[in-house]
Amino acid sequence: MKRNPVFHIAMAMYSLIYFVPLLWMALSALKNNEQITMTPLSLPTTWDFGVFREAFTVGNLGKYALNSVIVTGTVTSSVLVFGSMAAFAFTRLKFRFSKQLLGLITLGLILPLQSYFIAQNALFDTLGIKDTRMALILPYTAMGLPLAIWLFRAYIQNLPKEIFEAARVDGAGDLRVYQTILLPMLKPGIATVAVFTTLSAWNEFLLALVYIQNDDLKTIPTGLLTFSTRYATNYQLLFAALTIVTVPMIIVYIIFNRKVIEGLTEGAVK
Amino acid sequence: MKPTARWIPYFLVAPAFAIFSLAILGPILATFGLSLTNWDGFSTPSFVGFDNFARAFQDKIYMDSYWHAAVYIAATLVLEVAVGLLLAGLVSAKRNTTFYRVAFFTPVMLPLVVISVLWSFILNPDIGLLNRLLGNAGLESWQRIWLGEQATALLSLSVISGWIYAGFYMAIFYAGFQRIPSTIIESARLDGATEWQLLRQIKIPMVKNLTEVAVLLCFTGGIQMFDLVYVLTNGGPYDTTQVPTTYLVRVVFRDQQMGYGSALAVILTVVVLLVGLIYNKVRTKEDAVVEY
Repeated sequence: MKRNPVFHIAMAMYSLIYFVPLLWMALSALKNNEQITMTPLSLPTTWDFGVFREAFTVGNLGKYALNSVIVTGTVTSSVLVFGSMAAFAFTRLKFRFSKQLLGLITLGLILPLQSYFIAQNALFDTLGIKDTRMALILPYTAMGLPLAIWLFRAYIQNLPKEIFEAARVDGAGDLRVYQTILLPMLKPGIATVAVFTTLSAWNEFLLALVYIQNDDLKTIPTGLLTFSTRYATNYQLLFAALTIVTVPMIIVYIIFNRKVIEGLTEGAVK
Repeated sequence: MKPTARWIPYFLVAPAFAIFSLAILGPILATFGLSLTNWDGFSTPSFVGFDNFARAFQDKIYMDSYWHAAVYIAATLVLEVAVGLLLAGLVSAKRNTTFYRVAFFTPVMLPLVVISVLWSFILNPDIGLLNRLLGNAGLESWQRIWLGEQATALLSLSVISGWIYAGFYMAIFYAGFQRIPSTIIESARLDGATEWQLLRQIKIPMVKNLTEVAVLLCFTGGIQMFDLVYVLTNGGPYDTTQVPTTYLVRVVFRDQQMGYGSALAVILTVVVLLVGLIYNKVRTKEDAVVEY
């Protein structure tokens, strides 16, 4: 293959479509409101990073981040454990109604959130769990399970059957096989499922908007929206908040880019 | 295999199925039930038959919202799937393109709300990056109140969506291209095929099934799009960007019409399921015909 500078120059130019908005956001955080309004394209004149601390404290970003971590952590671990358990049973064990149960769960792959969230809202009202973290953990887990089970199934089907049969011959029960043989071999699948479950729970907005009114329990998306309506004209503070939310995610993404891209596209490719 | 004890498979499936039933399966059935009532969220609902559905088909805003979603989906098919395919062709044509692939995928993993707020600034008529760039380039006449004018609001949303998701489809197609046996690509290159011919005549035909998946994803994603529209226009100006999901949220949570809202939700569900069914039909047919 020939080296072709034109190709790389053109691609670099196109990349600007992605970099300029993000860079503009981060740099605007370092400019005061007057500079942002009058000269939105200029570079900042001072490099005072104190604004990030201010946005973090004024905007309660720490609290929102903590809520996001608690909700997302619980959801991802539940989806991994319950999803792999169910996928193991659906793929390797024969039992009555296994087809029907799997079929019902598969429905969750295509049904839109809107097809159930009105009654879900009423149910959570009755159960009194609105404005608790449970109101997010439950539906996020339920929404993550269908794709998790489906992907785990695909991974398990690719594992050689003989391994499971050999363990059986050695006298291991199914639960031991699940724990000691399946889980270690399922690691690549676990990483994939963990990535998409974590990101979709971390980013989910509609249910968080409807179920959580208490500011102390808001997650990052709804928290940030509250922040942006409260300080609608304090552009600098808002740009700082946006930067605080995105930059750590981008750093994690750059480190694990292969896993992240794989995790988010595997469902479509498989 | 037969389980070592009869209860084991049920024990393994129980937690997942219980959570799924409680949070999704039960509520779906209940939403279908509620759609036949006039429930307002507080008083006892009474049965009204199919009145809500009759009303929905007379509801101009709701019917128009499907039209808006259709325009949005048509636009994003080009701006996301077609652009994604082209980008995948570009980054698979050369080596050392990891940087571009990582860069183009960045918006996919960021929270939509955060991206929406960022874009509200980019398109802001006063401080916005876009109008300012246009002004500096001497294109003042092109400046718009992008999200506030009926002519540009829906299109702006589609473009933002393209900015976010083109990288997603690129990644899908790129993964597909990587699976094409390299002998095929190499021999075509030896025969003097250009990269463009490779893409058109070999790569794209060989990832046909992925293209179908991408179209389906673009459709189901588009008809369920909520975050972007809610944050940026919330259906305005004058309901010209009202999509089924934003209108649904307005009917249910602002107007407190749970019964009517449920009917709207049922219609949306049926539309999504119908498209899924049609997709499955079309796909299996083609699979039966195309053998190689």
